[in-house]
Amino acid sequence: MRVDPQFLTRVRQGGEFDASVCMNCGVCTALCPLGVELLPRRLFRYVLLGNPDAVREQTETIFSCLLCHMCESNCPAGVHITENVRTLRTHLNREQYHLAEA
Amino acid sequence: MTEEPPRRIGVMICQCGGNISDYVDTEKVRAEVAKQGDVVATRVEMFACSDSAQESMVQMIREKKLDGVVVCSCSPKLHLSTFRAMTQRGGLNPYEYTQVNIREQCSWAHTHDKPAATEKALRLVRAGVAKTALSTPLERMRVETIPQVLVIGAGIAGLRAALALSDLGISVHLIEKAPEPGGHVARWGRVFPNDKDGRGLIDTLVREVRARENIVLYLGTELTEMSGRIGSFRVKVRTPTAETISLNVGSIVVATGFETYAPKPGELGFGLEGVVTLPELKELLATNPSRLEYHGKAVRSIAYVYCVGSREEGSETNLRTYCSRYCCSATSHIATVITGMDPGIRQFHLFRDIRTYGKYEAIYERALRGGSVFLRFGEEAPPSVTSENGQLVVKVKDRLMAGEEVELRPDLVVLVTGMVPREDGEVARVLKIPIGKDGFFHEIHVKLRPVETVVDGVFIAGAAQGPKNLAESVTSSMAAVSKAAALLLKGYVDLDPMVAEVNPDLCAWCDACTLACPYGAVEKVDHGGTAVARINGILCKGEGACVPVCPKQAVSVKGYTNDQVRSMIDALVQEVA
Repeated sequence: MRVDPQFLTRVRQGGEFDASVCMNCGVCTALCPLGVELLPRRLFRYVLLGNPDAVREQTETIFSCLLCHMCESNCPAGVHITENVRTLRTHLNREQYHLAEA
Repeated sequence: MTEEPPRRIGVMICQCGGNISDYVDTEKVRAEVAKQGDVVATRVEMFACSDSAQESMVQMIREKKLDGVVVCSCSPKLHLSTFRAMTQRGGLNPYEYTQVNIREQCSWAHTHDKPAATEKALRLVRAGVAKTALSTPLERMRVETIPQVLVIGAGIAGLRAALALSDLGISVHLIEKAPEPGGHVARWGRVFPNDKDGRGLIDTLVREVRARENIVLYLGTELTEMSGRIGSFRVKVRTPTAETISLNVGSIVVATGFETYAPKPGELGFGLEGVVTLPELKELLATNPSRLEYHGKAVRSIAYVYCVGSREEGSETNLRTYCSRYCCSATSHIATVITGMDPGIRQFHLFRDIRTYGKYEAIYERALRGGSVFLRFGEEAPPSVTSENGQLVVKVKDRLMAGEEVELRPDLVVLVTGMVPREDGEVARVLKIPIGKDGFFHEIHVKLRPVETVVDGVFIAGAAQGPKNLAESVTSSMAAVSKAAALLLKGYVDLDPMVAEVNPDLCAWCDACTLACPYGAVEKVDHGGTAVARINGILCKGEGACVPVCPKQAVSVKGYTNDQVRSMIDALVQEVA
């Protein structure tokens, strides 16, 4: 994958995104009641590194999240996972579905 | 030959908790040596160095009225001074003690052959007893020390050492090879952990050094010669005008620092436009603290590659298996500095392991929160750095993404280069201090004597001993100062009496010993109208190069006299039942 260093800046135009302190432990994935295919940690790493294609491929996963907070409440690094997912949805709405801001 | 009165020697044999007794039959050795003439008491101990065993031995010295002691245990490097002190506590002269090494030389060396290990131990013990039977009391020589120190290197460690010595009232000659003081730190801009300016730190120290009456700073000056010994070294230094200055100092502190690892051409893209080392980036930031530019072009993204030149095999004389200690913290810190300049600059850190130990962990976390992304690569799969039409391309298999290959196209690649020892072997050669396998100066004991060298009175400070960050360098420099000051403030030093001496009645002054002595310890004196040699015990190190060259057998080393060595050989070749 080729890194797009400006991707994170574009994502952040849709809201807050911060996964810098994620330590890749995987608690989020273990606890997910939906058993989403993609590890949140991996998804967030695609964002941090800057991989728009990989994020776009995960559209289904990003929208199937229940925003139940199970992962976030138990994240040992205190990453705001659900807030990050919301921001990614906003980003996809704009970039992929070209939905205007409400 | 007159018959010597019999000696009363006591022998203690150590089992070293099995280290010795698992291979050497200590009881058999004891029983055999007890039959030896001059031996009046023997005992076997589980640990001879334990307090209780030493106390029993002290009792034995008194009760049996011993006049010589032999302990058969480990290497004298470990416990010679322990048992000399024990012998002294028993009321004897400490040089009536002999250590026999039956651990390193017997049990550890011959684990495959227990009877042979036992036989060898017995022979060595007999030799030790024979040597002790001819021992005489010796007195240490007390010499005055000169309250002056030569500090080599005016980097952070040397400057700090000079000031601390000066604080204690000790005069300092501070020599620096470079035309300017300050070493690496002066060029490095803001340094972790407290973000102070390196130049500022150095300027403050140099100003203070120049203000002190008891510090002389010599720039562009190198050490060329050293003679003498602890308490009174005579050194010669060469100034930029090629003038040689002779100095007389009581102690020497070596603070010559390190060099930055220079990557080989092509190593991780080294040599490509836009590939720099960590010190080069530091200097770049120090020269222009407001904007990050490289060759006139604004830098928008950076890829750092960690552990360059560290934690790898290196060469036989320069094992670089060590961690350079400062680079992870320095690079994390630099990332926070760059984020502070412009949070929009993207920074990718390609690392093997992050070692921002202790309080520096907070710097790593600041770098993370500032937006730095850390990618972990394995030792077996280092990143590749290439250039496509002038654009740098970095590829790395990210372990945190299960080895997925990540391709970066940064404006700048920073090779986080570690510390290597100084190439210039002049200081080591002149001072005769040993160098470790990694090429750094070697301390006597890594934990207990970290700033002392095998040359008494010569201490090592800072990164000359091994990679250290700034704070650690200063700590080690303070340790060297305290060792030097402890030596000099006492005003005297007691020297080992095991030095050479000349029998003037035998000597015919042929000059052979003068030529053999590397320490210039032989003097020509008059003895009843004829010229003879005399050994200056202060300069002599007791190494004995003069002994075998003497055609008259007029020279011998105290504690290792010719008679003693002959008797040891006789004892070694004696039959073993």
